[in-house]
Amino acid sequence: MAAPVIETHALGKTFGLTPVLRETDFRLAPGHAAVIIGGNGSGKSTLLSILCGLVSPSEGSALVFGEDTRRFSPRYRRRIGMLSHQSFLYPNLTARENLEFYARLYGVSEPRKAADAWLERIGLGESADDRVRTFSRGMEQRLTAARAMIHNPALLLLDEPFAALDSDGIARVKAMIREAADEGCTLVATAHAQLEIEGISFELYEIVRGQVVEYQEKDEARRGGRLRSLLSPRS
Amino acid sequence: MAGYAAIVKKDLMLEVRGGRITTVLVSLALLVLVVLVFAFDRAVAQGPDTAAGALWIALVFAGMLGATRVVLSEQENGCLRALLLSPLDRATIYAAKLTASFGFMVGAAIAATILAMLFFNLEFSMSLAALMLVLILGALGFSALATLLAVIAARARGGELLLPLLIVPLFVPALIAGVKASAAVLSGAALATSRDWVGILIAFDVLFVTAGYLLFEHVVGEE
Amino acid sequence: MSKPIQNALGLSTLVAMLVALFMVFEWVPTEAEQGIVQRIFYFHVPCAWVAFASFGLVAVAGIFYLWLGGQIWDDLGHAAVEVGMLFCTLVLITGSLWAKPIWGTWWTWDSRLTTTFVLWLMYGGYLILRATAEDTPQVSKFAAVIGIVAALDVPVVIVSVRLWRTIHPAVLVTRQGGHGLEDPRMVATLLVSIAAFTLLFAWLLMLRFAELRMRTRLGALAREIALIRFRAGAA
Repeated sequence: MAAPVIETHALGKTFGLTPVLRETDFRLAPGHAAVIIGGNGSGKSTLLSILCGLVSPSEGSALVFGEDTRRFSPRYRRRIGMLSHQSFLYPNLTARENLEFYARLYGVSEPRKAADAWLERIGLGESADDRVRTFSRGMEQRLTAARAMIHNPALLLLDEPFAALDSDGIARVKAMIREAADEGCTLVATAHAQLEIEGISFELYEIVRGQVVEYQEKDEARRGGRLRSLLSPRS
Repeated sequence: MAGYAAIVKKDLMLEVRGGRITTVLVSLALLVLVVLVFAFDRAVAQGPDTAAGALWIALVFAGMLGATRVVLSEQENGCLRALLLSPLDRATIYAAKLTASFGFMVGAAIAATILAMLFFNLEFSMSLAALMLVLILGALGFSALATLLAVIAARARGGELLLPLLIVPLFVPALIAGVKASAAVLSGAALATSRDWVGILIAFDVLFVTAGYLLFEHVVGEE
Repeated sequence: MSKPIQNALGLSTLVAMLVALFMVFEWVPTEAEQGIVQRIFYFHVPCAWVAFASFGLVAVAGIFYLWLGGQIWDDLGHAAVEVGMLFCTLVLITGSLWAKPIWGTWWTWDSRLTTTFVLWLMYGGYLILRATAEDTPQVSKFAAVIGIVAALDVPVVIVSVRLWRTIHPAVLVTRQGGHGLEDPRMVATLLVSIAAFTLLFAWLLMLRFAELRMRTRLGALAREIALIRFRAGAA
């Protein structure tokens, strides 16, 4: 079996005197997808911030691609795409300029072309030359998704990817995520409830008092769905 | 290197788009000079010593504001985090932000020099080239420190007042050297006569550009 | 920190101080030109030495903190800067008291006073950061960086201020003429004073350091309690 993309050992994080995560052992194999369910302030975002190397753990360790996230070298950062609740977009640059800038940061070849292609995919081709400041929350979220995926990452961390999106936006972003998954990208998403993306079987986790554990079904009807996802073939 | 160029180009683009940092810094330099002209007696406010002092006061204030703006432009929407997540080295991010701060400060220095020439009745001569060199050396050292410390000030609580409190004492040696060299140049002496002062400025620049380059990763990292 | 060492240090400080006081006021001959005032020199110089030493310690602690991590280095730097500021303030006060009868003014931009004053301002900024910001690992890193940068600045400050004063017309007598320390008893008194102040410094540093260590340990305990409550679902 291939080495896991994500492997945490007794991971814990405390901000000041406030514990957020504790004793978390979470593993995810390459090409697999996981959804982490939890309410507001349950530590979902903190987990993703640790996995991408922005926040360092208080206890235990997190290995991503086998590398400790505390000493994350540029080589590994290039392989991660992060869709955070912050958009990471410059309000005074246009949509195209934003994407082009990030394409350049990640050394994408032909950044201009890549930016245009992604703008079409998220349905913002006509607003390409408008400043992000003028965008609605939903348009911004579409652009944020494109920004996170523009360098074709091998691991996608998605913090509530469908927040503020309309149905067209959700469909487009889902299509982008599915395509990434088809190419073998490993996915970790957070959500308030189970995500449904056709063709992707998500392993379900929830955060219980700061600990990431396998989701416990409370509903008989949904258990069948979970069983199917467990039985579905994996790469 | 491509990443460095991308950030610098982006900052330039933001400024052209109405970032207004240049406008703010030039107006600030103008105001400082005007205040000094009125604060001093007319007779005093003519000589090269006063002009040199006024220029450096303008430079220090413009530099603090400029560095703060350049750092804050990355704070909106968490863009600084995106830079940290990208494959760029922290040191490269520092170099790019330093370049932007330095660029704005040099712009302010040029404007302040032109204004000071008018206000303090300075001769327009070759000595202005030497003066610009001295000011540029000062601006480099200042922005090297300011880029590092502005991140601290932006992220620590009780921040904004912290930057001047931290940076002014640290900048004292370069300030002394810069004012002395500027006054000498303005009173018609060749730059070679201020060799020691220019030496201190260069040493200061080398020291703090290196220190900022090496230490920046420790001020941008999250807990 | 072990109590016996602390007590021994306190006791030897007391003895050394008494000996130094006796030597300064009773034993050492009065300096010919400046008279009785010159005796402040035996406090002034040791204070300056201690202030410089503690600022050096701040930088060393900062380097170790950034290099190895470990709250102990942060606590050491924190203690050193506070004790250093105390002695730096004493240098300025004794310098001022000395300047009045000799130079006829409380304050003069003499090169050494100026250098000390600039140091006082630099470390004052450092202390204000510590006082206004919360105690987080983040702020500890900021403090370490500032401590290192300030120490790097010290030699440049010394050179530039010296050059600044010598190029300026020397209005006042240089202090060099004042104390040639022609009598061997003067040298002996100075050395004993330096030893006494070094002991005092070590003692104060140890007290403050022990207190900060205690605070760190309390913080760790509070975090542990918070974690236990969190695990139990009480938080």
